[in-house]
Amino acid sequence: MVSFELKRDRILARWKKQKYEWIIEPRYWRNPILWSMLLLVVPLFITGYPNILTMITVANLYACITIPLALQMTGTGRLNFGPQLYLGLGGYTSALLNLHLGFSPFFTLVATILVCMLVSLLLSPITWIAKGLYFSLITLILPLAFLDLTFIYGSLFRGEVGLMGMSPVINLGRITWNYVSYYYLSVFMMLIFLFVAEKIAQSRFGVTMAAINENEDVALMMGVNVNKYKVFYYVFPSILTGIVGWFIVHTFRTFAGITYLPLDFMLKMLIIVMIGGRASVYGMIPGAYFVCFLEDSLRSLGTVNYFLFPLILIIVLVALPRGEGIYGLYHKRHPRDYFPVMRVRRE
Amino acid sequence: MLKIDNITKSFGGLRAVNDVSFSVNQGEIVGLIGPNGAGKTTLLNLLCGIYKVDSGSVRFEGNDITNLAPNRICHMGISRTYQIPQPFDALTALSGVTVAVINGKKRENMTLSDAGLDASYFLEFVGLFAKRDTLSRDLTLYELRMLELARALATSPRLLLLDEAMAGLNPGEASKALDMIWSAQEQFGVTILWIEHVMKVIMKAANRLVVLQYGEKIDEGPPEAVMANEQVIQAYLGGSDVND
Amino acid sequence: MLLVKLQSVLVYTFIWGSIYLLISLGFSLICGVLRIFHLGYGVIFVLAAYGTWIFIDAGLGLFPSILLMILLQIAVSLLVFYKGIFQRYLDREEILLTLTMLVFMMVTHLANYIYPITDGVNLPTTIIDGTFTIGAVRISYQMLFAALTGVLVTLIYIVFFLKTRMGLIIRAMSQSTQASLLLGADVNKMYYLAMILSIIPPTICTLMIAPFWSIEPHMGANLMMTAMLIAILGGLGNLKGSIIASYMIGFIHAGVSFLYVSRFMGFAALVITLIVMIFKRGGLFAGETIW
Repeated sequence: MVSFELKRDRILARWKKQKYEWIIEPRYWRNPILWSMLLLVVPLFITGYPNILTMITVANLYACITIPLALQMTGTGRLNFGPQLYLGLGGYTSALLNLHLGFSPFFTLVATILVCMLVSLLLSPITWIAKGLYFSLITLILPLAFLDLTFIYGSLFRGEVGLMGMSPVINLGRITWNYVSYYYLSVFMMLIFLFVAEKIAQSRFGVTMAAINENEDVALMMGVNVNKYKVFYYVFPSILTGIVGWFIVHTFRTFAGITYLPLDFMLKMLIIVMIGGRASVYGMIPGAYFVCFLEDSLRSLGTVNYFLFPLILIIVLVALPRGEGIYGLYHKRHPRDYFPVMRVRRE
Repeated sequence: MLKIDNITKSFGGLRAVNDVSFSVNQGEIVGLIGPNGAGKTTLLNLLCGIYKVDSGSVRFEGNDITNLAPNRICHMGISRTYQIPQPFDALTALSGVTVAVINGKKRENMTLSDAGLDASYFLEFVGLFAKRDTLSRDLTLYELRMLELARALATSPRLLLLDEAMAGLNPGEASKALDMIWSAQEQFGVTILWIEHVMKVIMKAANRLVVLQYGEKIDEGPPEAVMANEQVIQAYLGGSDVND
Repeated sequence: MLLVKLQSVLVYTFIWGSIYLLISLGFSLICGVLRIFHLGYGVIFVLAAYGTWIFIDAGLGLFPSILLMILLQIAVSLLVFYKGIFQRYLDREEILLTLTMLVFMMVTHLANYIYPITDGVNLPTTIIDGTFTIGAVRISYQMLFAALTGVLVTLIYIVFFLKTRMGLIIRAMSQSTQASLLLGADVNKMYYLAMILSIIPPTICTLMIAPFWSIEPHMGANLMMTAMLIAILGGLGNLKGSIIASYMIGFIHAGVSFLYVSRFMGFAALVITLIVMIFKRGGLFAGETIW
């Protein structure tokens, strides 16, 4: 079926008449492996401070939401103002199925994937029908419509209070062990998302995606099936976001649409994308950590934090150079790497 | 190879292309000429599937390709260049041609690096190998036109549609570009349908000329015969109120 | 019973539609002239209400407070939004949109921090107290005045854009900035004028509806959502479209409230806007010219 072959610096995989290769270059892998090791040993140092562990878990989840978002923005070529629709959709699907029908976490995962896939396939025509700004506007409106829906059918969705008491993914008895296990689960999920997104971006799909982003008509004339790519880049990140919703439901065991669906949360995600470095998948992680740490450290100041948080973000956004965000400070970008210009009004 | 039968296209009340028919045989260079507004680029867009034909048919190697989607037409072996070069601004020259290599036809056993190698071959053919890592927005006009040619050739076409490939080039660059197109024809065996305004070039290069005016075909034949036709001369220079 | 409901729907369509005219007028103006989707538009409502309240709280009378508040609005709009954000980030639109949203969030939360919801804010802008009845419907005089002001301001703006020289220049600018520059229009001054013109209707609206609409720090978000829906429905940047769409959304809100359940009000407006956008891409009057 699939045959593998190891060459000096690459692994080749052949399947039917297709050939995939994976270049193994040690200098590209050293830094990511070091950072991953660091992430994995963190719990050993902070066993006395469980709230920091939760904070890092939440930061990992923010990164998991924004990594597909970054992929989606370059893939469909438009700004998506409503990724949290699928977060809410996935979360409510798994929560309701778990509470009312007693599905186990595994089956709710399957159900979440199916529901998100169906809904995003249903909504995918807007990627090729709606021009530039209108796509962004429709995606802006959709989560708010969903939020309205959850309030209207309040008895089912428990509107502002939220659903509680869903079964956990892993229950190890003691609470600290549970928190640590959730932390490791979130780290693994984030690393897997990062790996998948990076592989897609660096492959032939990534180059074609860049071409579509630059000039659709020319790409169409060169044999690219533009609509198929756009649908894929809308559906796949939506499914990934739905999986994050499933994770939130089964680890934190409460889920309220009011936390995740309104504009405030969307703004946080958008800020992470901007601050982390436009459409650079690796950059989402430092962006997510920065925003999460900022939010948590400001929380101790009382209600004034709601005002300081946007202020500090404005200052950071304005001060960062060249639109590359925090990740740009760390990673020197090759001129020949693709740096997309996100055009909001695309005619 | 390419047979165009009575195609008509109107935009609102304006008849852009009116009942045009001609054919292109394998291996020849056919020039499509005519004054501005004659509908030449519209005809090209109709062939490529960007506009929908109102009536008539286009057959390519026996298959009916009227109103097919542009990417399907590309897979069948037709590719084009543009009057105003449309590069992928933020991609390097190499990446731009790589996209064409991967997507132009169904390739077996080709990874991204192999496609890059193939693309660099095409870049070297047009003379841009030294600039393969420059971003497309930093190239000069001549280099952009060569990049367009490389991109079009990278999809392995059998029919190449050139849209005013000489516009904006000085005579030295124009003769270099003409040599490039000729060697492309020899080496890759492409048939060429060429819209052009620069008469010197098209007279030298074309085996046959087709003349359009106001959307209708007014003449067809070898270059000298067409250029001697009264109607064609009047179409370019004006009517009977021009004194000799 | 049904007749009473229908009368209510009719009356409230007129009232709400006219009020919505005011809030969508400014938004369409910015969309049409500056070609920027001004997501920080809600700041105008918050500043109008709370700005006036700060000055009244400090002891000034009603009219001086309103005057100072308008100066404050102009300063914020020109300095923070136009000079600070729009001019600098015109070519990087995603940062522009994010920054405007952040400024809006900041101002809203600042208002919430200084005057939380529990601190009742009360603007004494009632013109005539009391209610009256039309047919079987009882409405307050203030509502009628708000609606009539809406219609009046819209008429003034229409006359300005169609009949005066400056209106002509702004209309030309909205279609092609470069051509207007070449023809000698002072584009920057006209942009300042457009931004100031866009502040006036929402400010008047907030002052008028203060007595019967709840003043809370988050009113900016709700009103801006409605303004955005109206702008999208009518075609971005088109005044004619905004006028028609205001009454349409007013009708949808009134109809759903009285003939069905009022909880569905916002949701129905969203769904109908989505449907219109699917079938008529770009809204009712797409084409993105001011008139």
